[in-house]
Amino acid sequence: MPFLLEHIFAVVITLVLVVLLGTGGLVVVAVARRQRREKYFQRIDDLRQRYGPVIAAVLAQKLEYERALAVLKGISGFDRDFVLEQLLLEEKKPPPDQVTILRRLCEDLGLVKLWQGRLSARIGSASIRDAVARPGSVLERFGWLHFLARAKAADNLGIIQHRPSWPLLVKALDDPHTDVQRVAVRSLAAIQEPDSFAPLVERLHSVVLRPATTLSLRAVKTALVNFPLKQAVGLIPSLNHPHRRIRFLATDIIREIVERHAAREEEFVLDAKVFPPALAEAFLNQLCFDENPDVRARTAPVISHLADPRATPVLLTLLGDGQWFVRLHAVRALAKRKFLSQAPSVAQRLTDPQWMVREAAARTLLVFGRVGSEHLASHFLTTEDRYSREQIADELQRAGLIPSLLAQYGSAEDGIEGRVIAQFAQMGKTSYLVSVLHHSSEHGLRMKFIQNFGRHPDPQIRAWVRHIATRDPDEELRALAETTIRQAVS
Amino acid sequence: MEEWRQIFYHAMNMFNVVIVSYFILANGIYTVLMLLSLGFVWLHNRRLTYQGLDELRESAVTPPVTIFMPAWNEQEVIVDSVRSILRTDYPSLEVVVIDDGSTDATLSRLITAFRLVKMDLIYRPRLKTKSMRGFYLNPRIPNLLVISKENGGKPDALNVGINVCRTPYFCTLDADCILERDALLRLMRPIVRSPLNTVASGGIVRILNGCKVQDGKVVKVNLPKTGLERFQVVEYLRSFLFGRTGWDLLGGTLIVSGAFAVFHRETVIDTGGFQHETVTEDMDLIVQIHRWAAHHKRNVKMEFTSDPVCWTECPSTLKMLGRQRRRWQLGLCQTLWKSSEMLFNSSYGVIGWISFPFHLYVEGLGSVVEFVGYFMVPLALLFGMVPVPLFVLFVFLSLAYGAFLSVGSVLLEELTYRRYPSFRDLMTLLGYAVLENIGYRQLVLFYRVQGVFRFMTGFRTWEKVVHVGKTQ
Repeated sequence: MPFLLEHIFAVVITLVLVVLLGTGGLVVVAVARRQRREKYFQRIDDLRQRYGPVIAAVLAQKLEYERALAVLKGISGFDRDFVLEQLLLEEKKPPPDQVTILRRLCEDLGLVKLWQGRLSARIGSASIRDAVARPGSVLERFGWLHFLARAKAADNLGIIQHRPSWPLLVKALDDPHTDVQRVAVRSLAAIQEPDSFAPLVERLHSVVLRPATTLSLRAVKTALVNFPLKQAVGLIPSLNHPHRRIRFLATDIIREIVERHAAREEEFVLDAKVFPPALAEAFLNQLCFDENPDVRARTAPVISHLADPRATPVLLTLLGDGQWFVRLHAVRALAKRKFLSQAPSVAQRLTDPQWMVREAAARTLLVFGRVGSEHLASHFLTTEDRYSREQIADELQRAGLIPSLLAQYGSAEDGIEGRVIAQFAQMGKTSYLVSVLHHSSEHGLRMKFIQNFGRHPDPQIRAWVRHIATRDPDEELRALAETTIRQAVS
Repeated sequence: MEEWRQIFYHAMNMFNVVIVSYFILANGIYTVLMLLSLGFVWLHNRRLTYQGLDELRESAVTPPVTIFMPAWNEQEVIVDSVRSILRTDYPSLEVVVIDDGSTDATLSRLITAFRLVKMDLIYRPRLKTKSMRGFYLNPRIPNLLVISKENGGKPDALNVGINVCRTPYFCTLDADCILERDALLRLMRPIVRSPLNTVASGGIVRILNGCKVQDGKVVKVNLPKTGLERFQVVEYLRSFLFGRTGWDLLGGTLIVSGAFAVFHRETVIDTGGFQHETVTEDMDLIVQIHRWAAHHKRNVKMEFTSDPVCWTECPSTLKMLGRQRRRWQLGLCQTLWKSSEMLFNSSYGVIGWISFPFHLYVEGLGSVVEFVGYFMVPLALLFGMVPVPLFVLFVFLSLAYGAFLSVGSVLLEELTYRRYPSFRDLMTLLGYAVLENIGYRQLVLFYRVQGVFRFMTGFRTWEKVVHVGKTQ
């Protein structure tokens, strides 16, 4: 049959109708959806207004638990469980003092049982009720989207830190969907059940050894880092693992745990009470000599916290390592006042061939305070290494030390400060110096600076002296500047 | 004479076939993208309920990021923009503002606002750039660095950022953009969670015009006042929510908006950094990364996520809109031309066989076909080659299909993020989605054709879009 014009007409007309109907359908869906969402938010807002104060009061322990429970049990309707979940878990990270009460409420209201059921993919009366109440959730309850419900359940159990659910969460690590695995990992980290540490370590191994695993390494690592320091002993087999990456990850996890603790406590020390001797030995005798430089590098921060006389010599060994990033980590690890006596060794790294090590050395010396600054200044003045000098100049500027350098220069007799300033001028790095002088009203400092450096050929210093000579209200200063300019010209 | 007449008739017929084929191909692919995105964005939104950001925020393994903000004559917006990004919720963040030789008060306003001091710091260039004029820091705000350099264009400014960057990832952000507080965390989520090496991650850019901004933060989302800006709201929704999402799902991401995107620094350096040959350095970089990955047999991923939001001002005048669209089209053509080896090249998989040809034939050359069609089809009608009712029906179908796709993008927004809160806003958006194809689409088409023409004539200048502050 030939393709006639009438057929084209018929096709186009049909298409037009289909498209118009489709567009109209989309508009109707959009409007209906908006109205449904507005109703939903209205209901949630109403419930929040009614029950929010009750929940807040019981969590703040201002209302008797039993009374609050009785009030919340009054919430009814097909979507009761969903609404309760929304109201109770509004705060994704409840304060630690409220978690216990929240957990008890969730248990007594039957939510925990519901979530456990969902996570283990059991279809109970609650799932059927929920599906009836929210038709949109049918797929989530029974279909291929059930992973959404499982992941949410795992998340909720983690938010309330429900310890008895840890075996279920460990089981969820083998869930067919990555989302559920990932949330289970996170929830296990929140619950911190000691027995769940080993399965997580096992998961870490499988992520490394089987690259096809869909779970990300970072997710597992983040979870393990969340555990308390005493759990670190569970990583000893990983520290001895033949796979170099597993050894590295285990070392790095312990480093992260240690650094988290150190950030919380000012005088943090890793003694036998908090750090098992077996671990300390592994770090001091084995890991710091590991063939994998990444492992050696990550041992430095841990060793720097160890209360062991062998720690400092080991760190100094790492400071001379052949790999630059091992030296970098070692220099950074020494940035603690207790290593003040090691300032000369750190200063040696100011001439390191790698600029990041030079930079870290300069920063570590600045952490040492006066002693470190003196080392830095003396190195700055004496070194023949141009790169080292540049690095120190960089750090002195970044750390904002130029104003205090100038202040000391202005108030003291001729000392090291003047020579440091001369070195800066010699290197042409005078922007910061001149900027401070521009904003300074210190008569003595400016007089001294003009006397000593006014004739320096640096263009920025010259411009500043000219500025003083022409614009400064201080007559004496102006006269000195004029004289200096004349002398410089002649 | 009769012979010429026959040739003319044949040519017209062939062109009509081309027009119809273009119509079917373009709308077919757009429909597939829309349907894919409808499902995926809805699902992504559901998944967000358990993908907390706290884990990322508190995790010791969340990589540090540097935000690059290249600025050229942005004195009106620069201080607010920098204040806004310094408040970004991210555990380890550095901000580098690169003043690309501005001739206005961009640099001096930054110096005053943040009490910056000029310092003579070391510059270690790994990528070649124009020379530096100075580094400005305030030791009390150690995570902010302002660099002044000689004018060299946006790619040059971004390369300076790469040279001073210490973090493994960097985020590019336009100076007129406002980031939502948690946008960077959201943008980094696919990078942190992916077991593969994710080297680029792009977020959604939304229109700021009409919104209420306080202290560098969007406090109330409103629709813009003028029709021109409202059409762009619909256009952006369509482009980002279903265009980019759809291509991402198919594994054919060819564009990540440089206005707001995160990149892996070493990968970008390996590919040679941002290039100067095109006026759309963001698309050019993505194409470069694809080429580099195929050449070095690297399994890398580039992701688009629809929940990290960056707000930007859209052009509010025809003149500025024209500049913007001409540049985009010119950049598209330059980038595709530069990488024409990718066309139907099996080494590039979906990119080589679907995404690249689509961008070339539909987004690039399609604009010319469509534009010429507006003249040729009526001409065919005039010569009696097409029956009037069929012509009318076809035009109607074309407009209706355009409206269908635009309404689809508004529905997508409604199903997921609902940023425009009032019912009236929704109805207005739906209205503009229907009307977009009458007038506005043709106007944009005209600018796009100008862009193609400029490409063919070798025009290379970056046309600056001036932002006038159309927020409340």
